[in-house]
Amino acid sequence: MKEKVFAIFFLLFVFGFAFFSLISKEKSISILERRKLTTKEKVKEDFPKNLEAYWSDQFPFHDFFLATNQITHRYLLQNKTYQNVYNQKGYFIEQNYPLDQKSIDHFVTGIKEIQEKYFLNHPCFYSILPDKSYFLKEGKGLKLNFNSLVENLKENLNMTYIDSISFFTLEDYYKTDIHIKQPSYFKIIDSLGKTLQFIPTKLTYQKNTFKNFLGSSASKMPFSKKEDLVYLENEVTKKAIVKHLEFDENEVYSKEQLNSIDSYNVFLRGPSSFIEIENTISSSDKELILFRDSFGSSLAPLLLPYYKKITLIDLRYISMEKLSHKMDFNNKDVLFLYSTLLINNSYLLKLK
Amino acid sequence: MVFSSVSFLFFFLPLLLIFYYASSKKYRNFILVIFSLLFYFWGEKKFVNLLLLTCFFNYFFGLWIPKGKKKILIIGLCFNLGLLFYYKYCNFFFNTFSTIFSINIKSLSIVLPLGISFFTFQNISYLVDVYRGQVKEQTNFLKYATYITFFPQLIAGPILRYKDMALEIDKRNENLILFGEGTKRFTIGLAKKTLLANTIYQMYTSILSSSMSSLSYVLVALGFLFQIYYDFSGYSDMAIGLGKMFGFSIKENFDYPLIASSITDFWRRWHISLSHFFRDYLYIPLGGNKKGILKTIRNLAIVWFCTGLWHGANWNFVLWGLYFLAFLLLEKYVWKREKKKIYSIFTFCIVLIGFILFNTSNLNEFFLFLKGMFGVNTPFINRESLYYLKQNSVLLFVSFLGMSPFLKKKIEILRKGKLKKGVEVGEIIYFLFLLLLSTASIISSSFQPFIYFRF
Repeated sequence: MKEKVFAIFFLLFVFGFAFFSLISKEKSISILERRKLTTKEKVKEDFPKNLEAYWSDQFPFHDFFLATNQITHRYLLQNKTYQNVYNQKGYFIEQNYPLDQKSIDHFVTGIKEIQEKYFLNHPCFYSILPDKSYFLKEGKGLKLNFNSLVENLKENLNMTYIDSISFFTLEDYYKTDIHIKQPSYFKIIDSLGKTLQFIPTKLTYQKNTFKNFLGSSASKMPFSKKEDLVYLENEVTKKAIVKHLEFDENEVYSKEQLNSIDSYNVFLRGPSSFIEIENTISSSDKELILFRDSFGSSLAPLLLPYYKKITLIDLRYISMEKLSHKMDFNNKDVLFLYSTLLINNSYLLKLK
Repeated sequence: MVFSSVSFLFFFLPLLLIFYYASSKKYRNFILVIFSLLFYFWGEKKFVNLLLLTCFFNYFFGLWIPKGKKKILIIGLCFNLGLLFYYKYCNFFFNTFSTIFSINIKSLSIVLPLGISFFTFQNISYLVDVYRGQVKEQTNFLKYATYITFFPQLIAGPILRYKDMALEIDKRNENLILFGEGTKRFTIGLAKKTLLANTIYQMYTSILSSSMSSLSYVLVALGFLFQIYYDFSGYSDMAIGLGKMFGFSIKENFDYPLIASSITDFWRRWHISLSHFFRDYLYIPLGGNKKGILKTIRNLAIVWFCTGLWHGANWNFVLWGLYFLAFLLLEKYVWKREKKKIYSIFTFCIVLIGFILFNTSNLNEFFLFLKGMFGVNTPFINRESLYYLKQNSVLLFVSFLGMSPFLKKKIEILRKGKLKKGVEVGEIIYFLFLLLLSTASIISSSFQPFIYFRF
């Protein structure tokens, strides 16, 4: 009897999902996984190879099955760091482990070369933003030795270090994303100001909240909740002129990106190799060259009131050789601002 | 196409079931052959012709053997082994030859056709059985094609004998109870593959990229063994289950080999269809154990050399075969065999080390691994290995539990008692649960083929 009953359930399951798959509307993106889904167009490009990806991507209740898989691993198999992500009080922490000495050496050598080639006798500064795993509690996962990383950089880089690490707490980060919330960067503005010699003032900002933010770690936890993404605007950011090397975008906040795969791209349109932001109402003549990763996108607008112009360079997408002829380096502050995630995986940078 | 994919589970299988059960019995073999070819085409477009060609030739060899006897059998064997040699071993022999004689021979660009080791052996077993008069030659090409191309076993076994299938090819009794048994068996196999084998693979690849200690090496070795066991036995379960869904009874290919009390016992329980093939078509024709100790050793050496080589065109597989031969000979002539738990543990350790050899590409790598495992220039334990042990303790526990029939026996006892109804309901929920979790794993993971596809 039970064989018959299970046979019927099995058939219902298989035929039911097959039927739902056939009648479901095609989706082009997954907000939860932050990726483009395989569509019929892709299937046509390489048939039947892409068909499995198409059926899998377009499967009914796709997100429910992702969550079920997470539950299987995290709760049934008790693998609390499944897919390298640990849940600490609702904050999804991606493990950044082990410390990759070769990557750090690669980073140090590359930055030194840039300093010697383009900024010799020039005041250069650097600061390190901790990734979330810095706040991982002992015994809860693998945590790299952050002190060793910082000491290593201090020993080898011949530029002024600005401490940022000690200012942040886990609550300063998005729960589902690797980045620091924009308002939390106010914590380090004073510290940066002291070294870069600008005087931080209390400015009024308009707080804009996007309520449906799901960060890059969201798909790695079951039933992730959407959270708020806040971006701060004022006269300076509104009137600023933004020039990208690759795009025509000319605003500090690309609001249309809020509903894209990655809402964090609202800050300076996301990945971009070279951006110049001009503060059109600045009373200062100071200029800043900011070597940065994605963390810098949300910090830069808050530094803008203190500069006439900020140039952001993302060495993941362009090498200095290609940029040098476009730039004048004289009389500019130079700040290298990188997260520990990137320093420990610096092969992404085009340093040669 | 793999069984643990959306394409198979939610499109290929339902479509086949509709066509199969909607057609009259007369056309069911035809439907199976067409869908089996489609199944093969999905993974290996360009070798469908080769599959059909071997089917075609062996069908005629089978017809001619009763008239031409030995000559046709030899031609048939040369044809099948020649193809296998060309596709699987050509480059291996060229490379070995060029290394020994220091001659520069360019490797040929040959792609290994999916499942060639399996369907070649099935063709051979058919020809030999017809020659021996153990089965009657199949005069209907469609029926022969049903035997060779039958999709559940086409690309990763078990190696079916024609004599075991012949009756069911002619006439089989499909019914809902058998179908239900098939779906349950299929679900168990699917869960073994998606929830255990694939997860174990993730476990040991993460460990291998971390700083290693002896404990890490032990975990990786367990990972190698459990992955291949749950991957391959899972595939066999799915093949057996699918067979039942279409009215075929495929013989068991695994019988809890990891609790075997000796290496001899292990090979009676692991990949049974391959062991039986070599026993019946190589060991016994060579004389088996009937011509004295020396000839028995020679015969066993040939069998285990071939068993190793069958698994892959690489010397590590040959050494792997000879490694097991050494223990089999020790058991046969030196050690006493007794059924004690301690022997099972000892056997498990020998098998564990054997599968390290299986997974490493050369002896140097193998010995480095062993050195690490036994703590030579390696810490016994470190932070990372403890972390991985903790994270994967439930997975390892389930893997150990699943290698013995302990749970199955307990459920049988419960079923015979007062809780019969409860157990039955629980079992249905359990299977549905496994099906749901396996589907979730398929949807969430990238493509992971079965290990035995490469053989």
